[in-house]
Amino acid sequence: MDNQMKRGLLDVCVLAAIKDQDSYGYQIIKDMKPYMALSESTLYTILKRLEAAELLTVRSAEHGGRLRKYYHITDAGRRRLREFKVEWREIISLYQFITREEDDNV
Amino acid sequence: MYKREFLARLREGLSGLPWDDVAERLNFFSESIDDRMEDGLTEEEAVEELGPVEEIIAQIIAETPLTRIVREKVRPKRRMQPWEIVLLVLGSPLWLALLIAAFAVVISVYAVLWSLVLSLWAVEAALTVSALAAAASGILLFGHGGLLRLTLFSGGSVLAGLSIFLFFGSRAATRGAAWLTKRIAQWIKSLFVGKESAI
Repeated sequence: MDNQMKRGLLDVCVLAAIKDQDSYGYQIIKDMKPYMALSESTLYTILKRLEAAELLTVRSAEHGGRLRKYYHITDAGRRRLREFKVEWREIISLYQFITREEDDNV
Repeated sequence: MYKREFLARLREGLSGLPWDDVAERLNFFSESIDDRMEDGLTEEEAVEELGPVEEIIAQIIAETPLTRIVREKVRPKRRMQPWEIVLLVLGSPLWLALLIAAFAVVISVYAVLWSLVLSLWAVEAALTVSALAAAASGILLFGHGGLLRLTLFSGGSVLAGLSIFLFFGSRAATRGAAWLTKRIAQWIKSLFVGKESAI
């Protein structure tokens, strides 16, 4: 997949993984596992980017005698998810246009 | 590999990056290993699931902008002593010249590489133009001998063939040069990162 496109999609995937409740690194990877293999380094970069864009916030909480970082989606993050749904409809219609062209050529 | 060794190797590999950034990454990986162990994996299995540490280091370095690496490298770790500043200033004719020379070498490597590519495309353009010109004059030179026109036309066709042939060569060379450009940049990056631990 095109890198730029993949990056945008992964950002939205991670936002979707924390939209119902706050989550932590390994849980996000587990949640996405059925759909896509996500490495720790990749996830770290995405989380950093989303934090810088204020689409999520981070807090540390005690868990079993150690600290664990939890990620919480912000209002801007939820807005981004809604925008994505609209954008995706446009992409689907573009996809139909592209594949129709292909069918004509065959 | 155990968690301690994994984290130590990761820290060593990233020693040229800003320290707070490295510490945060180490915490992130440490947390991930702990969470996996809580999930029922052994320590070794948990580390195994993260993937080879060398690949992780390479990916992080590739993602970090060169400017950030250099800035971290240039920033002094402690206050400089007055005699060090004096030495630095006195030595500037030497190290400044060396630094400029190093930059010049890098730039000239790039220049040589891309002028090769450029010259290939220049030949390609010349071939295309002359192929078109020869073919056109072969067709349009009414009133001249058929032999001349035929020669021009067939010469044009040969040139056109060469031009098409060279097009693919030039394209491959451009891609190769782009790849090399990237590799050289990565190599320069790797000179700045991960060398500290070796000293």
